[in-house]
Amino acid sequence: MTYPAELSELIEEFKDVEDKMERLEMVFDMADEVVPFPAEQWTNQTKVQGCQSEAHVHVQLEDGKVLLLSGADAKLVQGLMGILTLAINGSAPAQALLLSPDFAEEMGILNSLSPSRSNGFRNMFDKVMKDIRQFV
Amino acid sequence: MAIRDDFPILKREVNGFPLIYLDNAATTQKPQVVIDAMNEYYTSSNANVHRAVHTLAGEATEGYESCRNILKSWFNADRAVLTSGTTEAINLVAHAWGRANLTDGDVIVLTEMEHHSDIVPWQMLAEERNVELRYVPVMEDFTLDMDAYAASLEDAKLVCVVHTSNVLGVRNPLEEIIELAHSNDALVLVDAAQGVPHERIDFKESGADFMAFSAHKMCGPTGIGALLIDADVFETMQPFMGGGDMIETVTITGSTYQTNEHKFEAGTPRIAEAIGWCAAFDWMATLDLKKEHKRLIGIARWVAEQLREMDIPVYGRHEAKDSAVVSFLHPSIHSEDLAHLFDSRGFAVRTGHHCAQPLLTRLGISGTVRASFYLYNTMDEAKQFIEQLKDITERFG
Ligand SMILES: Cc1ncc(COP(=O)(O)O)c(C=O)c1O
Repeated sequence: MTYPAELSELIEEFKDVEDKMERLEMVFDMADEVVPFPAEQWTNQTKVQGCQSEAHVHVQLEDGKVLLLSGADAKLVQGLMGILTLAINGSAPAQALLLSPDFAEEMGILNSLSPSRSNGFRNMFDKVMKDIRQFV
Repeated sequence: MAIRDDFPILKREVNGFPLIYLDNAATTQKPQVVIDAMNEYYTSSNANVHRAVHTLAGEATEGYESCRNILKSWFNADRAVLTSGTTEAINLVAHAWGRANLTDGDVIVLTEMEHHSDIVPWQMLAEERNVELRYVPVMEDFTLDMDAYAASLEDAKLVCVVHTSNVLGVRNPLEEIIELAHSNDALVLVDAAQGVPHERIDFKESGADFMAFSAHKMCGPTGIGALLIDADVFETMQPFMGGGDMIETVTITGSTYQTNEHKFEAGTPRIAEAIGWCAAFDWMATLDLKKEHKRLIGIARWVAEQLREMDIPVYGRHEAKDSAVVSFLHPSIHSEDLAHLFDSRGFAVRTGHHCAQPLLTRLGISGTVRASFYLYNTMDEAKQFIEQLKDITERFG
């Protein structure tokens, strides 16, 4: 799997870090990449199922490119959303759809997450991809 | 020898740190004797029970039935049905007793403190039988509103109450609850999933009609639990699942059923698990459980005090009879993030709604972080837990 350059770099950075708490902190920091999705606009349609906490995503097109807006109450989920944002925002929908969810595992995030969280990430990823698919 | 030494899993590391297991209210770890007993059964005695005359079948049957005998003597009960756990035990009451004894307009009293497994089966039955469910509220001090309880008993046929809350650790005043129920001709089902691990219960003396619990919360295997039933009430129950083992005779025109507990144990049962559970009881019998409980509630109380000193709200009261469960909500770190951060340092704690959403709704929160202590946990681990929380708060709070 080849990733967008920025994501590839990030994966390498994560791989270099031994300490899991530090890796979690790096994920938390990725929350800065999120394009905010205000809580007032959260609905059942935008909710990611299977998350222990509230997590919402909304995808729209801007100049033909993907724009992911997202929000969550847990920092870890926000961080995962930030990574996904970095990977797909500004891409053409067809391009974004090529992304594999394996990056989370390669970064050593997924195996540092509980199964329900892993499912939550997978559900979030799948929901975003499904939302993008309607644009192609 | 320390209790800890009997638990091989406690020697492992998690993310490079020694495991500190504080998720005991979800499930407890197993001592080596339990692992060995199950291994030994599969290695040398595996066979089906109750059916064949050969030696292995005899050994398997004896092993399985000895679990029932231990249950009866440990809890002083006349009837002990082996189930897959607390959940199946409660569902068994809903089907085998509820469907045979409840009709339109009858009332079941529940509490807001119940685990989902003591709510959902009753909601399903209520829908099917037009039975009314009444919920006893939980008050600000985390106890049941006993006045509301007394007032809810009119037309009640059954009261379902959790012995000890898996979220709060609060042990309910069962003696009073059962007495009041009986004086109103209602039966009582006690969900003792969190009760039996920390309190030695005499079933007959308690007066309860049904008591449900799981082996895995008291150092036994997963996949097995029990329903204790009052001998007279037992006779008013109809079979729930049909199949092998629960019948007396089967012809193509109909069947007759066993009259003992086998009536409710259709199909090949959990033989290895029963044998493992026996080993867990034997192991527990070597401990002074009262002394251990006193030690554990002392640890929980200390942890709760430390949390309050850090201005962290704690949901529970940690009195002498409560269980060693500490639920709290960090003011600046999301519970889920906190649990991941703890995990990165080898600590296992639980977050979420703990399968008790009505209780959390009453408390006005959507979840807690829960640290629960059991026989092998030490004060030193509790101190490390608090130290770790202080470090995490400083770095991430
Ligand atoms: C109070 C209470 N009731 C019922 C259950 C359900 O037990 P099991 O999942 O073993 O059937 C639990 C377990 O979490 C519990 O804590």
